[in-house]
Amino acid sequence: MPPRCLPAAWRLFRHCAMSDSTIFHARNGTMINVSGLTKQYRNGTGPVSVLHGVDLSLFSGEMVAIMGPSGSGKSTLLFILGLFLAPSQGTYRAMGEDVLSLDRHAQAVFRRKHVGFVFQSCNLIENSTVHQNLEMPLIYAGVRRRERQDRIEDALAQVGLSHRINHPANFLSGGEQQRVAVARALVNNPKIILADEPTGQLDRDNSRMVLDHFRNFVADGTGAIMIVTHDPEVAAQCTRVYRLDDGVIVSCT
Amino acid sequence: MAEILRFLDLLRVSTLQVLRHRRRYLGVILAIAFGTCGLILVLTVGRDVKLNLNQDLELLGGATRMRVSFEPEPGNSRIPTPRWFRRQTIDAVRNIPGVLDVSVILMKSGPSVSNVKDRAHLFMLNGVDGEFWSVNSFLPHHGEFFGVDAVNKRLRVCVLGSELAKTIFGSEDVVGRTLPIDGDLYYVTGVLGGIGVGDWTQSAFIPFTTAQDRIKGFVFPDQMHVRCRTWEDVAPVAAAIPKIFQSLQRGDNVRLLVAWEMLKRVQKVAWWMEIFIYLAIVATLVLGGMGIWNGMMATVQARTREIGLKKAIGAEDSDILVQFLGEALFLSLGSAIIGIALGSGAIQIVSRILKSSPSEDLFVLSVGLSVIFSLLLGLGAGFAPSMLASRMEVVSALRYE
Repeated sequence: MPPRCLPAAWRLFRHCAMSDSTIFHARNGTMINVSGLTKQYRNGTGPVSVLHGVDLSLFSGEMVAIMGPSGSGKSTLLFILGLFLAPSQGTYRAMGEDVLSLDRHAQAVFRRKHVGFVFQSCNLIENSTVHQNLEMPLIYAGVRRRERQDRIEDALAQVGLSHRINHPANFLSGGEQQRVAVARALVNNPKIILADEPTGQLDRDNSRMVLDHFRNFVADGTGAIMIVTHDPEVAAQCTRVYRLDDGVIVSCT
Repeated sequence: MAEILRFLDLLRVSTLQVLRHRRRYLGVILAIAFGTCGLILVLTVGRDVKLNLNQDLELLGGATRMRVSFEPEPGNSRIPTPRWFRRQTIDAVRNIPGVLDVSVILMKSGPSVSNVKDRAHLFMLNGVDGEFWSVNSFLPHHGEFFGVDAVNKRLRVCVLGSELAKTIFGSEDVVGRTLPIDGDLYYVTGVLGGIGVGDWTQSAFIPFTTAQDRIKGFVFPDQMHVRCRTWEDVAPVAAAIPKIFQSLQRGDNVRLLVAWEMLKRVQKVAWWMEIFIYLAIVATLVLGGMGIWNGMMATVQARTREIGLKKAIGAEDSDILVQFLGEALFLSLGSAIIGIALGSGAIQIVSRILKSSPSEDLFVLSVGLSVIFSLLLGLGAGFAPSMLASRMEVVSALRYE
């Protein structure tokens, strides 16, 4: 395992190697493959199991829902898939790569290159404009300024918010904020989008709009989305639905 | 190159962030700006202020003035040593570094006589040069003092001590009157005043050149008054004068009268003042630094979700560290720049009041020091909060309420 403070040349090499792997596995179709995933926390009284041997997969062109009651481990599973949490046991391959074996830096590189996130409560950067919100992931990804502007405009056009580019994010409506969050997830051209209750705080029209954007994203068959949701209407529009109960996948329909 | 551009982009984001929250940091900005302003002011015009203070204290006590005269001739001396100052000796003393001005005095051994209104008045007569008044910080009580011109033209003019003027003329105005001294008539130009006239109130003063020409007993200057630029110059000048005498007049009979005790007191007062000023500046800057630290800690806590979000969208620990450290540096550096602008304005005002022209080199040096100090302050105060931010776990940060 290389140290965290890798020289720039090594980072570049890793990045190129990862890109090749991405192309190969996108053709292969398996975007995420998880097997035997368990997660245990420690609290004051002892270990608490949240996930017990979860197996799931996500293929390109799919929009998959994870449903389950509160406390069933949906968000924890999504955080593990987003490489924010390390599982206690199990394997996790994303786009053919054993991502759990990557160091912290390589995981961050993988995340910003290939994964987009949409959270329930929008999570836009406060006191910033829509443009600045969309620019942040591009800055972290090292995209040059000239290219950034094009990408931001493209992403906003996809969610129909081109006219809001210089608006302060705080002053947008809830639906618009969530669409900006979708645009931010799309701006780095990810292959996978992980969404945690993306329509949880939206009305029917705005929910429909967000799901339309998701459908457009997977329509060309190169990307995939995994959505954690309570909403049966959202689940109904997904390719497959995993039902999680008390940390165990009880069905996949 | 890409890494550098990314770094610059992060700094730009940090700058915008501080500008957006400028009201939150107003107290910190003002503290650092005033501290920097004070630092620049003290470093640049401190010496001028000290000189001014020196002059004010000089009026009170004459701590920077010394009298040079000769030891009395020993009774058993076979070969008399010279007891007057040669021209080259006076010039050499004038050229000692730290000497502001030199005045020479011819003192008559016996009293002079003036017969006015059928009364004979006895008093001490002194031949002095044009610098005598400024070297001793004397001010005219009435009229004016004679200057270098009167000395060069050997005019028959005189200045009277205040008590002597009262004794001879009573309450009448003496300026413009003529006074007979040792048989010659002299035109009275003024009456001696100012703090520190001491035992000169019963004396009269005429140009030393006139005295040499007209009054018996006046030959060579036998007393010298030396005024130093600051009290710090007194000790080196006092050490240099006997050496000059040794080499130019081959005499070791010179007597130096320096108000050492007064000098020590004045230096002590000035030292304490200087210490207090520097302490106040350092305290202001440290408070500013603590303000940055405190403000950044509060910011990190308030922006916990934002930190989690940024990590979720691809930021690494180092990106967050750079971003928050950039904010702290921009805050301290920006405040210092405001302080430099304020300091520059304050220097103009102070130098106009003191009628001095501060050194540009000192100003540049003080600006450089201020910038370095502010950078260190920003780094020092911003490091801990930035580290805290960079080490946050994404999940707990995103779930932070």
